[in-house]
Amino acid sequence: MGYGAEGFSIYDLQLWAQGLGLTIWIFLISSILGLLIGCLIGLIRSYRVPVIGKLLMVISEFLKNSPVLVQLFLVYFGIPAIFTIDMTPGLAAIITLTGNTAAFIAVIVISSIDSIDKRQLEAARSFALSETIILRWIIFPQSLSVAMPMLVGLAINQLQVTSLISVIGVIDLTRVGDIINQRTFEPFIVWPLIGLTYFILAKTIAYVGTRLEKRFSAYRLTNEL
Amino acid sequence: MIDIKNLHKNFGDLEVLKGVNLKINPGEVVSILGGSGSGKSTMIRCINGLESITSGTISVDGFNVENKQDLLEVRKKCSTVFQQFDLYPHLSVLDNITLAPINVLGNSKQIAEEKGLELLKSVGLEDKTLSYPAQLSGGQKQRVGICRALAMNPDYLLLDEVTSSLDPEMTAEVLEILKNLAKQGITMISVTHEIEFAREISDRIVFLDEGKILSDLPKDQFFAVDGGRADPRIAKFLSKMSEFNEKA
Ligand SMILES: Nc1ncnc2c1ncn2[C@@H]1O[C@H](COP(=O)(O)OP(=O)(O)O)[C@@H](O)[C@H]1O
Ligand SMILES: [Mg+2]
Repeated sequence: MGYGAEGFSIYDLQLWAQGLGLTIWIFLISSILGLLIGCLIGLIRSYRVPVIGKLLMVISEFLKNSPVLVQLFLVYFGIPAIFTIDMTPGLAAIITLTGNTAAFIAVIVISSIDSIDKRQLEAARSFALSETIILRWIIFPQSLSVAMPMLVGLAINQLQVTSLISVIGVIDLTRVGDIINQRTFEPFIVWPLIGLTYFILAKTIAYVGTRLEKRFSAYRLTNEL
Repeated sequence: MIDIKNLHKNFGDLEVLKGVNLKINPGEVVSILGGSGSGKSTMIRCINGLESITSGTISVDGFNVENKQDLLEVRKKCSTVFQQFDLYPHLSVLDNITLAPINVLGNSKQIAEEKGLELLKSVGLEDKTLSYPAQLSGGQKQRVGICRALAMNPDYLLLDEVTSSLDPEMTAEVLEILKNLAKQGITMISVTHEIEFAREISDRIVFLDEGKILSDLPKDQFFAVDGGRADPRIAKFLSKMSEFNEKA
């Protein structure tokens, strides 16, 4: 223990729990919103809606190919400069991560819909099934099965990306690590523990994802004759 | 009645159908013969609205395929069986069959499933109800394809080379089922390369050549020496096909 440093206290555990809660909360909310918006963008593009489809893809390309930290600064410092809104670090974090997630989801949606055999869709149309029914009962389940591994990968990646929001002052898990470390000067205890927490979260996502994946792809895994 | 009048279909600069006129009456079994690329599939796809029409008209019992509202009625009346089966891979055999009856005809799940089971029994697949398409042989898949089509209670059955992806043994099992259907009086338009099958089931044979109907004759007349076979193009096609079928 370094000079002038204080030891760990029970209060640190509480701080850790709060940081963990915030990280999970921001991760969940931006993932769910990103999923919804990304699906919408993907569908608009897949159904070749003119102009809007293209425009959304340009935005999505920008979000995918620029650093999340830059996007975060743009939202946190940029939006209040143009609009009179009260931009909190938490709101900036959610907006940025939602947009970024949506961009990746859109690409996943488009590629998984593309991977579906188009002839079965023609068959479905020839039986007078409506486009909505086809989307719900034919396109959606099959794209989901194809998309699942990509979605799980994305979720794990986006979880790690949430740590960037500590830079603008959100007291997430990473920021909590920073606070405790500054007080205790125990980097080799604090950071491995924080890292382990992220690791366990990621493994949980992977576990749930694999279970879901198996369920959605049962039809592709069976091959007995 | 299916009434095709002066049907033209272009893909870009390529004119695939060049003024086809064809009437099919209820109860008739009509086989469409013709070389590869003559436009047979395109014609079938125009009837069920999977291809747009360049000019001319198609009506089914008075419903015009080019009218969006009418097309739904046309599609309810005409069921198609596809060359590559085109089943929904993520659905069980039974769900493949009941999807459209439930969502288009408004059948209850129970009624649709009872009917589906009955159909599966009639083609000897009652033990495959819960299998996925990937677990079936080609012949079994096509039998499901036929059940899926029949489950809609169609007035017209459109068949586009439904045995072309099957080996001879499976071809025989599928043709047997279709022969029975033909006997039961369902209206069928069948694109096929199986000359013997066409000869057995058809009332009429239509021969398509480069997007035009070269002959449209009652079966016996078509196969007579002084009938369809008098045309050198048809004679050549028939001898090529019988050679091919003997080899297979
Ligand atoms: N979607 C398409 N785009 C362009 N050309 C097509 C398309 N579908 C069919 N064709 C062409 O139209 C012609 C007739 O095709 P098709 O109706 O499939 O013939 P058949 O079923 O008699 O073998 C062929 O030359 C084929 O290449
Ligand atoms: Mg064809």
